[in-house]
This record gives sequence, structure tokens and C-alpha cells, in this order.
Amino acid sequence: MSRLSSIRMGEFSVAKGDGVLCTLVGSCIGLALYDATHKVAGLAHMVLPQSRNSADSSGKFVDTAIPALLRDMTRLAEGAINPTARLTGGANMFATNAILTIGQQNIEASERILGEMGIPIVGSQCGGEKGRRVTLDAATGLITIEIVGADPIELHDRPRRRRTHHG
Amino acid sequence: MTAHDENLLTEQQLDIFREALHCGAADASEALGRWIGKPTSISIDSVEQLPLAEATGVLEVGDEPICFCIAEMQGRLTGQLVLAFDDSSGLALADLLLDLPRGTATAWGEMETSAALETTNILGCHYLGSLARALPAGDDLTSQLLPSPPRFSRDFAQSMIAFILMDQITAADNVLLTRVQFRIDGDPVDWTMLLVPDAASMATLRELLK
Repeated sequence: MSRLSSIRMGEFSVAKGDGVLCTLVGSCIGLALYDATHKVAGLAHMVLPQSRNSADSSGKFVDTAIPALLRDMTRLAEGAINPTARLTGGANMFATNAILTIGQQNIEASERILGEMGIPIVGSQCGGEKGRRVTLDAATGLITIEIVGADPIELHDRPRRRRTHHG
Repeated sequence: MTAHDENLLTEQQLDIFREALHCGAADASEALGRWIGKPTSISIDSVEQLPLAEATGVLEVGDEPICFCIAEMQGRLTGQLVLAFDDSSGLALADLLLDLPRGTATAWGEMETSAALETTNILGCHYLGSLARALPAGDDLTSQLLPSPPRFSRDFAQSMIAFILMDQITAADNVLLTRVQFRIDGDPVDWTMLLVPDAASMATLRELLK
């Protein structure tokens, strides 16, 4: 039986082997990183694009969650990793301008920071008006996205050449 | 306390706010009792300022999808008013209102959704109206607090709660949530009503509840 870790809002976690990571996102972003060589996975439930010098909630912000996730994945792999990224979430569940803007800002901040780090985004399932349950299997890298009232969606990693990350 | 948590209410302010919410709940109880034709009790279950990760679990329903009727608050305070319930509890309400045996409604059609939305509208008007009158008078010219027409959605509870909290989250690391619970004919009912002020109203409350 696999080991399932549920990730709450503003938190992140890493896994390998038979570990499975899961989170529920609405307008927030679920960022999944996966290193196929070491079979190390990381999943973050990011809420806002930019940190406000809040030292104890690094998972809450895109600009702090991504480096923290990479750091923990590198530790778990016990060596340099070559992760790919997939983005989910950013829904506008009940249209309000402020929240709509934050969801889009989260997506843009994620794309920018991942781009600066040379981490390719190999899959994306963002937007819409519904929440998503995102499950990442560390053994296979498979992401499953469940949306209420719809069939589950699988997002597969497409390997490409990229820089190596040392944490 | 971080700079962002300075936006939160003190224990004394929470007590004053809780008293005002009790007035709203009493008025909403009477209105709901008239609407469904049964003795009804609505009580304040909690008025809490929770860390983000804890707040999304406030409905204690795990990962299962549930139903939400959401109205925006307009007037003295702004934010969201939410009536949340699982499928069976919501459909039971529809049976009650349509004077049908419990278990008749089995899916969310137009009638069932309309029953839930109208119930939210009645609850919201009375709850917020009395709350507005019970809050201390401030400098604001309006004393009203009204719900917008509610909208219905069926989704994952944590996703929806996170979305509702988003405005407060932009300004604070903890979030204020108020929750009421229901009894009908003396029995508890699995509905939850949440009142979630937005960031601007947190500042308003801090000023009003001095």
C-alpha cells in the first residue's frame, strides 16, 4: 500500500519510493516537481505570488515555496536532481476581480521563477471554475487531477534536457 | 504576532463580535423556522482566528465534495456568507420545503437548487441584518448589511474554503472564520453557515469593536 501525504494550504511535501502526495486546490496553485532518475516527487500548495518576509510560511508563497521544495527534493534524492514541473489550479470559482487577479499572478510567478531556474513546465491544467484534487505518485511521476462532476485527468511527464539542480 | 497578524482582532474584540453574531443567529433562527415550518435553532459554534492550513479543514468533511451556497456581504462589512452542506442534508431540505417524504429528492435539479438558494437568502438577510444592527455604531453612513443573491456550487470543501479565504490571506497569516450550526425539531442538521469578512472588513471590525 502506498504512503499518502495530504498537503494543506500553504504547505509542501516531498516523497519517493511508494510515496503519494495529494492536495486540493481552488484558486491556489498546485506545483508538482518530479525527478524521474531518482523518482523523487515534490508537491506545493502555493497561495500568493510573493512573500512578505514571513519566515515561517515558506510554502504559502510562490517565490519561497519553489526553492524550498527543490531543497527538500535534493536532500531526499541525496544528490543533484533534474526536475520537471507541472502546474494545476488557478480556478476562478466565484468571480471576483481580486481573486481572479491573484490566481493569474500565481501562475505567472510560477512560470517566471521556474523559467529562471531552468525547470521546464511539461504539463499544465489551470483555470476554470472548479476545485481540483491533485495526486502525484512518486514511483511513476504520474499526476492525476480530479474535478467534481468530471472524469479524472492524467498529466504525464514528458522528459527533456535541462539544467541540474544542487538544492 | 507578525506585522500581518496585527490586522486580527483581540480577544475582547472577538467577544463583542460574538455577541453581535448571537443577535444575528437568533433572528435567523426565527426566520428559518417560519420558512420551513418547524422549530429551528441556530447557534454560534465558533468565532476563531486560525492559521491558514487549519482554516481550510474547518468543515471537517475530508476530501469529499460538498455543496455551497455563497453570497457576498454588502454594506457595513464585505466578504462572503456561505451555507455548506453535504448532498443528503441539502436534498433533505428540498424535501422538507416541497413537503415531500425525506429521500424523495436524489439529485440536484432546478427545484432542489432553488430551495437551497432561497434558504440561504432568507438566512443571510436575517443573520446579516441583525448583525449589522448589533454592531457598535461607527462613522459609516450605512447601517445595513445585506447578502447578494447567492450562487450554488458543488465542489471539494477545502478548495472552496481556500477560495473564500483568499482575500483575508492577502493581508494576514491567520484568518477569521465564524461558524453557526443548526438544529431542526431538536435534532442537529449537517449544515454549516460561515461568515468570512474580507481584508477591508477586518480593518472595519477592528475599528468598530474598539
